[in-house]
Amino acid sequence: MSFSTMLSTMGEGMLRTCAIFFLTVLFSLPLGLVIMFLRRSRFFIVRTITKLYIAIMRGTPLMLQLLMWYFGPYYLFGMNIRGYRFAAIIIGFSMNYAAYFAEIYRGGMETIPQGQYEAAEVLGYSKAQTFFKIILPQVVKAILPSVTNEIITLVKDTSLAFTLAYNEMFSLAKQIAASQTSFVPFVVAGVFYFVANYAVAFIMERIEKRFDYYK
Amino acid sequence: MADNLFNKPLIRVENLFKIFGENDVKKPTVNAIDNVSLEINRGDVMVIIGPSGSGKSTFLRSLNLLEKPSSGHIYVNEVDITDKNVDIDKHRQKMGMVFQHFNLFPHLTILRNLTIGPEKLQGRSLHDAEREGMELLERVGLADKANSYPSQLSGGQKQRIAIVRSLAMHPDIMLFDEPTSALDPEMVGEVLEIMKDLARSGMTMVCVTHEMGFAKEVGTRILFMESGRITAEGSPDEFFNNPSNPRLRDFLSKVLQ
Repeated sequence: MSFSTMLSTMGEGMLRTCAIFFLTVLFSLPLGLVIMFLRRSRFFIVRTITKLYIAIMRGTPLMLQLLMWYFGPYYLFGMNIRGYRFAAIIIGFSMNYAAYFAEIYRGGMETIPQGQYEAAEVLGYSKAQTFFKIILPQVVKAILPSVTNEIITLVKDTSLAFTLAYNEMFSLAKQIAASQTSFVPFVVAGVFYFVANYAVAFIMERIEKRFDYYK
Repeated sequence: MADNLFNKPLIRVENLFKIFGENDVKKPTVNAIDNVSLEINRGDVMVIIGPSGSGKSTFLRSLNLLEKPSSGHIYVNEVDITDKNVDIDKHRQKMGMVFQHFNLFPHLTILRNLTIGPEKLQGRSLHDAEREGMELLERVGLADKANSYPSQLSGGQKQRIAIVRSLAMHPDIMLFDEPTSALDPEMVGEVLEIMKDLARSGMTMVCVTHEMGFAKEVGTRILFMESGRITAEGSPDEFFNNPSNPRLRDFLSKVLQ
């Protein structure tokens, strides 16, 4: 197999890897916000269930969770959904990362002084207005470094999709390496992850800089 | 209707109680506000003094329900704001409040701190809000800071901004919660000047403060609080020159030396 054939085969895998990455970011960031609110609910039962959810998401391997999402519907309900594989991957990743993001958001919320809520409250802001206009912009600034960490981890975690026999980039790299008895696919994979994460770090740093205008 | 309301007290407090720890058996209960009733009329500059822990801040914060009273009623323009069906946000827009620690919004420019409320909550046009915001900044001598951020300002400057941020909402009354207590001594004067101007302009004010000079100069009614009760009340003259309450005499002798 020529180097260019190998690259084009792996290139398709890279597209799939990118699809997992972007869809997970797209769904897990807002979902994390919802989970954070549930985690902070004033109802004990809601808080407790959410805590349990976060504990499971963080306390079990993502690989296992992916298997659960994919095979669960069949073994639990006898459902056989065609073309579910990719959806299961996105659900598994998003639900898992949302739990982490929820905890990052919650940490960010803790950094906002009570006085900010009171100042907004006495100006007559509703709870929603206070959150979106006053609190959230400050939380975003506080959590950016942690979010960057998480997103970089996600880039590398996409390789776990191999669990569900989804041909993302790293699965292909392993297959080619085995069939061609070559080390080159692993080098290519390494370079890909590194470059992708370099880009993530670069973009996140730019975003952080945009928030530098105030302390 | 409007005439009727004008003759009525702006705020009427009836048998207000605030008991801390009443829902927690592990903590002792504290009567932070212990059966307080009073009326605040338009144009009053009410100054509340008293030892720390006497409940003055809690009382002030009850007036706009930052602290939820345990029992009692607070009428603002004859509307009972302790009633759950009352839209408290609407009333708060008419009750400005200035905090000890300023609580400016750090992610917004000074001008935006002043305009975001009028624009987003009162539906005024941005242009309108900014024009008035600039007027208010001129009034406190900080027009050149319009595009700065709060972290770039001194404490005294921040508090002047906090005052005009409240004024931008056209409040009927201004509540001050120890507005100079967190300031370096040399900055206290500039904030008090703004407050005195405001008092002279006829604004109804309730101030919790340790600034006795301010109380004497512009206060119309002085209240002394201890253990959650108002134990002395009077004009500045009666209050400072002829205090009858022995605890008040003791307090004044400590703070006035």
